[in-house]
Amino acid sequence: MYIIEIENLSHRFEDGTLGLDRISLQIREGAFVVVAGPNGSGKTTLIRHLNGLLLPTVGAVRLAGVSVQHDLLRARRLVGMMFQDADSQIVGETVYEDVAFGPENLQLDRNQISKRVKQTLIAVGLTDFADQSPHLLSGGEKRRLAIAGILAMEPKVIAFDEPFASLDYPGVKQVLKQILSLHQSGHTILVITHDLEKVIAHADRLIIMQKGQIVRDGLPAEIVNAVETFGVRAPCASLLGMEVRSWLN
Amino acid sequence: MAELTSFSFRSGTSLLHRLDVRFKLLFLILISLISLSGDFPRLGIFTCLLTVLIINSRLPLKSGLKGLQFFLILLLLILGARMVTTPGDPIIEIKFFSITRQGILSGVLICWRLTIIVLLGFAFIFSTRSFEIKAAVEWVLKPFAFIPGKRIATMMGLTTRFVPVILNQANETAEAQRARCVENRKNPVYRLIRLGIPLIRRTFERADKLAVAMEARCYNENRTDPELSATRIDWMALVVMILICGLVVSI
Ligand SMILES: Nc1ncnc2c1ncn2[C@@H]1O[C@H](COP(=O)(O)OP(=O)(O)OP(=O)(O)O)[C@@H](O)[C@H]1O
Ligand SMILES: [Mg+2]
Repeated sequence: MYIIEIENLSHRFEDGTLGLDRISLQIREGAFVVVAGPNGSGKTTLIRHLNGLLLPTVGAVRLAGVSVQHDLLRARRLVGMMFQDADSQIVGETVYEDVAFGPENLQLDRNQISKRVKQTLIAVGLTDFADQSPHLLSGGEKRRLAIAGILAMEPKVIAFDEPFASLDYPGVKQVLKQILSLHQSGHTILVITHDLEKVIAHADRLIIMQKGQIVRDGLPAEIVNAVETFGVRAPCASLLGMEVRSWLN
Repeated sequence: MAELTSFSFRSGTSLLHRLDVRFKLLFLILISLISLSGDFPRLGIFTCLLTVLIINSRLPLKSGLKGLQFFLILLLLILGARMVTTPGDPIIEIKFFSITRQGILSGVLICWRLTIIVLLGFAFIFSTRSFEIKAAVEWVLKPFAFIPGKRIATMMGLTTRFVPVILNQANETAEAQRARCVENRKNPVYRLIRLGIPLIRRTFERADKLAVAMEARCYNENRTDPELSATRIDWMALVVMILICGLVVSI
């Protein structure tokens, strides 16, 4: 059963730039996919099609069989998205309010909202910060808050755009742990990064993009050695011919 | 960022924090209106009340005053202008100017009124979450079917969300330019343009990002209504306020 089906997708921006060029892709439910590629290769553009923030110029995107365009609200509930810039996705004045933002938009009633918020704050370990201003959180905590905001909407797929950018080592570990536990609880995970080192050990599929096209797609172990031709740095271990180990141990 | 928050909400459990926003708004309006036409004894009573509330809610008065610098300067100007322009019995005379007793009194009175009103506003903002203010606006506008209350409340909410973003951005841009010695340029117009254009551009960019992030989380106008509930404390506060205001008006 494919949860995401992308068929011959092209996207041309208003100024004529071709962001995506004839992309076809299927992703199985529960998969852990890493999308890598140099700056400007169209990674962000691609995942923005998953919840209808961008709509295809040509082609189609379907979630569990239903076209994204057909029901935008459904697409946004199914696909949670963490953006490249964690700061700009904070909406609430306190951690609690920020997590409650999504459920409020879904017009859940107050009790349900408060239950969901409490659960997600426990899941990401931010319960103690509930009344704090999000701007006072550390980088890693901010990303966990962003994850909580997504989780509260109970999506099936979660797409992370550069989740490790500008995080220190403990921050990376915190976020990585979070991503893995989401995967374990059955979510389909997409991670966009040009820093393969940090996640590749956990992925079951690696997709390389270049100039709006998919140039490689397969098992990480099989293509990780070829990535440097496409402007992505390969993990040190694989350069040395070893197996890449998890960052968590 | 932290220094910009002296004028924003801080969570707490004081009386002010617990009151229902509609009651607070009502008290704010009542006290402001009475203060505007109040004389010394009335202002005195309100000042006592305000002092108690400020101490009780641990309002960060010191950092607040820093943010109010310009307001204090304005007060001084008003005081000065009043002192020299009000006719009456002169106390000190310097050439053409004469500072009158009446002038000093009326200057102090006006400054006192303004200070009370500003401090009230400060205490209100400090103890009220912006979504509560939004809810109150919606509640007030509800009986007027022709006014799109929800939309107005949403716009207000977004505005309050953006003020710190813009201030933050302004700070960052100004610092980056100072690091490149913009202070060597003496022309203020040049500096304003140099600061203004990137500031506006980046603010729009951030607004754009925020809008996309909100859209991704299903933002729309029909959201769960905020919960406003009046409790016993609110009604008790209302009774006390009516008594105080009655007392104040009657003296
Ligand atoms: N709104 C837009 N209008 C015009 N062109 C755009 C727009 N957004 C992106 N592009 C262009 O589309 C291409 C793909 O951009 P995209 O943001 O998807 O890249 P990316 O792989 O996410 O890169 P990065 O690693 O820098 O985040 C780039 O050449 C970019 O300049
Ligand atoms: Mg990107």
